[in-house]
Amino acid sequence: MDTTDRQRIDPTNSDSKTARQDSAIAIEFRGLAKSFGDIEAVQNLDIKIPRGQICGYLGPNGAGKTTTVKMATGMIAPTSGTALINGIDVVESPIQTKLMIGVVPETGALYENLTPIEYLTLVGRLYHLEPDAALEKAEEFLRLFGIADSSERMMTGFSRGMKQKVLISAALLHNPDVLFLDEPLAGLDANTALILKELLRELASQGKTVFYCSHILEVVEKVCDRVVILNGGEVVADGNVEQLKEMTHRTSLEDAFTELTSEEDLGAIVRAFSRSITGKAREAGNE
Amino acid sequence: MSSRQSSDDRLRHGDRKSEQAADWGQIRALFAAGLHLDLRSARAKQRNRLRIPPMISMLATYAVIGSILAFSLVKTSDPFTFTLLTFSAAMFMTAITVIMEYSSVVVSPNDYEILAHRPISSRTYYFAKVANLFFYVACTATALNLPAAIVVGLRFDGGAAVGFLYLIMALLACFAAAALIILVYSTALKLFDYQRFNTAITYVHSIATIALTFGYVLLPRMLIKENVTVAIEKGPWIWFAPPAWFAGGVELSVGLGDSRNLILALLAIVSAVVVIHAALTMISLEYSRSIAELAESSTEETVRKDRRKLRTRFAALGIMFCRNDEERAGFQLMQAYMRRNRKLRLRIYPAFGLPLAVYLFGLVSGGLNDPLAPRPVESTFPVMELLGFYCVFITLFFASAITQSDQWKASWVFFAAPLESRVGLLVGARKLVIWRYMIPFFCVLLLLMSLVMPPESALLYLFITFVLSLMAFSLLSMASPFMPLSQSIEKTRQARQMGLIMLLGIAMVFLVAITETLRESRLAGAIAVVLLLTLACLSEIALRKRLASRLAREEFLG
Repeated sequence: MDTTDRQRIDPTNSDSKTARQDSAIAIEFRGLAKSFGDIEAVQNLDIKIPRGQICGYLGPNGAGKTTTVKMATGMIAPTSGTALINGIDVVESPIQTKLMIGVVPETGALYENLTPIEYLTLVGRLYHLEPDAALEKAEEFLRLFGIADSSERMMTGFSRGMKQKVLISAALLHNPDVLFLDEPLAGLDANTALILKELLRELASQGKTVFYCSHILEVVEKVCDRVVILNGGEVVADGNVEQLKEMTHRTSLEDAFTELTSEEDLGAIVRAFSRSITGKAREAGNE
Repeated sequence: MSSRQSSDDRLRHGDRKSEQAADWGQIRALFAAGLHLDLRSARAKQRNRLRIPPMISMLATYAVIGSILAFSLVKTSDPFTFTLLTFSAAMFMTAITVIMEYSSVVVSPNDYEILAHRPISSRTYYFAKVANLFFYVACTATALNLPAAIVVGLRFDGGAAVGFLYLIMALLACFAAAALIILVYSTALKLFDYQRFNTAITYVHSIATIALTFGYVLLPRMLIKENVTVAIEKGPWIWFAPPAWFAGGVELSVGLGDSRNLILALLAIVSAVVVIHAALTMISLEYSRSIAELAESSTEETVRKDRRKLRTRFAALGIMFCRNDEERAGFQLMQAYMRRNRKLRLRIYPAFGLPLAVYLFGLVSGGLNDPLAPRPVESTFPVMELLGFYCVFITLFFASAITQSDQWKASWVFFAAPLESRVGLLVGARKLVIWRYMIPFFCVLLLLMSLVMPPESALLYLFITFVLSLMAFSLLSMASPFMPLSQSIEKTRQARQMGLIMLLGIAMVFLVAITETLRESRLAGAIAVVLLLTLACLSEIALRKRLASRLAREEFLG
């Protein structure tokens, strides 16, 4: 089934939420592609995300979401095509574009042998913030996220959620125009997740653009103005949640996602798994 | 194709426009953070009761080695000979240390995920990494050369000023040695496609080690005909020996200012500046991209179908010597990592270059004599003993490397699994090392040595050396009693373990004593060999007891 053309919707013609946004384009991919040897991780991506939009970027494991984020943030060079941030080519002007973006990477990588304050101060210096201003902001973020008490502790003993809070703080520290969030809710408790969701809406209303990669469809459904679904490195759907449901004749984003990205009967897979775990598969085979 | 070219063109354009400038504020911040990280990661895991900061213990080790070197040469008759020998040793040790540490400092995509999306230019990123490396070189070179500088200050004309100048020249020499190694790797990174770089760098490591050791062993030994109290005669060779250039500078400062020394000093300074400049600039512009490609290359690596079936089958045979599932798990884990993990290979393969370099030196100098034949009347350089020493020395690399990994957090599985004893995991990993690496290496050496001496003598000598290596491996593993791949890779760890070289001196006493006994009487020699085997068994038993008590208390701190 060639879903690419059938499901693609022009986001500029989508619902009122999108229409309200500033027409200026914050993130643009023009024929963006990345290959690793024979594997085409991302193919011919053409996406325009207007300023102030929260764009959910969904796809099954290995669909090419993180590779897209890496290309858009200048971490890897595309094999072909262009990624633009506020109209500036990421490859041509990496420093200029990196100053405009904040990133929460999927891996959750940070220097764990530093304290949160040291880490955030380091990040502040890398973005040329005044040391005092960076420190003040860092302390404020840690207070808001409820980890101010641990600000002088090395992060080696931190839980995943605490590290994630530091990473989100680091992404926001320099007040970027564009945010790339790859699974930002990983490890976060319910209250912090709620704070983050509200924060993203608030930031979008101020004109910040958010590129939001996630597997948690409920959050994407609630937070994002627009959803792009990727499968096998290609965009298979692009529109707002209601449009995607309508297109797939489904009542939830979860079902729409499954319809677009899986050709197998998930129920049958679950039953086979269950049999395999309990050993009944072999018995069934013998019978 | 055209789009690929256009992407590359834009990359180059980006390099020109915005990637060139080094941001000193960022370099300072990254350098300071790097030091924090290094010192803390080592201290956080420190378990000894003395709580000596790892940096201090590393510097103390180098200071002791430097003192032994300086005071063993104290009777040298002239400053040139003294300086040539000490500079040779210092440059050699620095280069070897950089080889051991380089992969974890400069050619490492470890912090790629953390820094790659930040507005840091390629040159800034590279300079911060090299600054970190040079900081360690400065510390170790100072510790290594300070005792010799004191000796120079006390022993030769000029006093403290000459001692100070000696130290400056020594630091410059060590920086040049470090820069030369960086340059070799930068060239490799530039020449090889990043996918082939992973393989190529392992061979570059080994070849560099052989070349360095060969040069280091060969040069002074060819010059010193009698003993070190006689001044080395300056011949045309001085123009080809970098330590001689720096030594010329020191001799100039003592007041022996002939034109040759002046040229040597100039040569030293110019060569150091050129090499350091080249090391700093050669790949600085492409550095970010190279590291990104290295980091990404690991994601696209697929396990190649092993075409070397013979080797695979040989390795599989070794698993028969594992006694339980824990040992088999440790064996197989290490087998897979040794085959696929570049960092692990980089930490181990260069070690094989050391004995091979000595073998080459023995061939050139004619020093590979039958160790069991009567000793020649005239004094010769102890090539066989040095060969034996380096064979035992390899175990230092193994003992340290098999417990460390950048994926050490995956070791949680050892804590979660219902293991009766965790000892078997390390024992299995050690068995893989012995079976897959040590035994084949000793077989190759046997073949090589049989070309120049009676095979039975080579066999007996290598058998003794092998048993000593096993013993040393057990003792060194006692100093590193952890589960396989369960410790993070720390910069100072391997350098600190250089101090264990002293321990290996004991092995050399055994080697010399047993070969001497065998020369005198075969029966007494046989008894000595049996005693050695008994000692090796006892050391293995002691290791297992130590592991059992240590690993039972181990907690997962990831």
